[in-house]
Amino acid sequence: MSTRQDRSGLGRRRFLTTAALSGATIVGASALGGLDADAAFAAEPSLDPAIAKSSFVEGRITGITGSILEVAGSQGGHSRVQMTNATSVWKGRATTAAVIEIGDGLYARGVDMPDGVVAADAVWVNIVNLDTQIRGIAKNRIHLAHGQHELVGNVLADTSASYAGRGLTSDLSRLRIGQHAQVLGAWRPSDDSVDVVRISVGH
Amino acid sequence: MLSLTTGLAPLVLAGLLGWTGAVKAFSKGTARTAPKTALARLLRSSDRATTVLRATGGVELALAASLLAVPATPAPGAATALLGAGFLGYLGYGRLKAPESSCGCSADENVPVTWRSFARAGLVLAGGVAAALADASWWSALGDRPAAGPVFLAVSALVLFALSADLDRWWLLPLRRTRLRVFGHPLLGGAPGEQVPVAATVELLENSLAWQAAAPVVRSALLDHWEEEGWRILLYSGVYGSGGDARPVQVVFALDATAGRDTPGDPMVRVSYVDADTGQALAAEELQTVPRRSALPMAG
Repeated sequence: MSTRQDRSGLGRRRFLTTAALSGATIVGASALGGLDADAAFAAEPSLDPAIAKSSFVEGRITGITGSILEVAGSQGGHSRVQMTNATSVWKGRATTAAVIEIGDGLYARGVDMPDGVVAADAVWVNIVNLDTQIRGIAKNRIHLAHGQHELVGNVLADTSASYAGRGLTSDLSRLRIGQHAQVLGAWRPSDDSVDVVRISVGH
Repeated sequence: MLSLTTGLAPLVLAGLLGWTGAVKAFSKGTARTAPKTALARLLRSSDRATTVLRATGGVELALAASLLAVPATPAPGAATALLGAGFLGYLGYGRLKAPESSCGCSADENVPVTWRSFARAGLVLAGGVAAALADASWWSALGDRPAAGPVFLAVSALVLFALSADLDRWWLLPLRRTRLRVFGHPLLGGAPGEQVPVAATVELLENSLAWQAAAPVVRSALLDHWEEEGWRILLYSGVYGSGGDARPVQVVFALDATAGRDTPGDPMVRVSYVDADTGQALAAEELQTVPRRSALPMAG
């Protein structure tokens, strides 16, 4: 764990900041798109060569042994996922492996090792991507209907919204009851609610 | 009060069952919603589920008619109570199936089971028992209590209305909209600051030429982020080079913390590969030579 703490340590951050600011400046837009959480839900196979060589693991975490996660696939089967210092962990936000718990849902991208373990490049914990309708708006939560399933979306400080395909903003005041909303979030197994990370409406 | 309840229960139940039965039996939506029900899982076929749903609708209509037409006999009430018990059992089955579908990872998300469905099925069961115990017809009960009767009917109708999730859009959503209009939008919060959310910076990065240049090297998703002097630093891990020369690197991007995808002009990103072991900057020249490329200007 010491290297992870070191990585987020102030000295390390200052060093990396200097490295970034003294690096190359690249100006310009591209339509290549992300490798991030959205890629976890990409329907079509990616053209990105890094993705083509990757393997994916999806399921529920049944055990944690050191830095290895035991995963029971939701379509059956069993996988072992090796976490490394270079593995990114998403659980509603970028975080560390310390927050992963037994029972969490997991989606991981990584590389197959000869011993059958998947060395993870990135894991997304409890990530959900839901097509919903907004049924109610309160101070710190949004009531959503997903199919005929009612669920509560928790609004957090860093919840962001996209309106009609525009860039993400922290302004949630343009959400309306009755709107259809695509919700990317982190499922909370304890109370079956969803922490809303990104809500997209009007697109 | 008790005689009023038992006397008028058939009328209330007939209204409820007549309406739900007609919707199930005749609505075109039945075939569309059948595959999403727990019934389709139970029967392993959405065609069979549609048939069963329509048949249940027929039974409900028949019960509604007999509750109205043959009062003060226990048979229709008992049959209705049986139907209510059946609904409760079915809902319990759906509830048992619900936990695995709530994650969003697996397929079925459409189990229509809330506490309100249970309450409504419970009322059908209780109403059936009350109707079976009635010793007078509903019209005589209504005639005996010209004031209390209609009040009871109205209250019962309101309760059933409130317990029917499919009617929410007619009253609950307009009510909530009105509340927002009167009391203001609860998520109005303070004015959003100069800085955009981290997710917006990531989105801007992923739409940038710098990301396109670095994508073959980047392996992880966002590892860490922080702000320094107006810059937002995004950290990823990756592998630079191939074969035996491959080096684990940290890929650091620096972006303007106030810029998002809607900010005019091309995104400007500073990027550097840092050797994860030695801290040396790698491939500086390679990144310097990425040509500047502007987005096509928008017409108008």
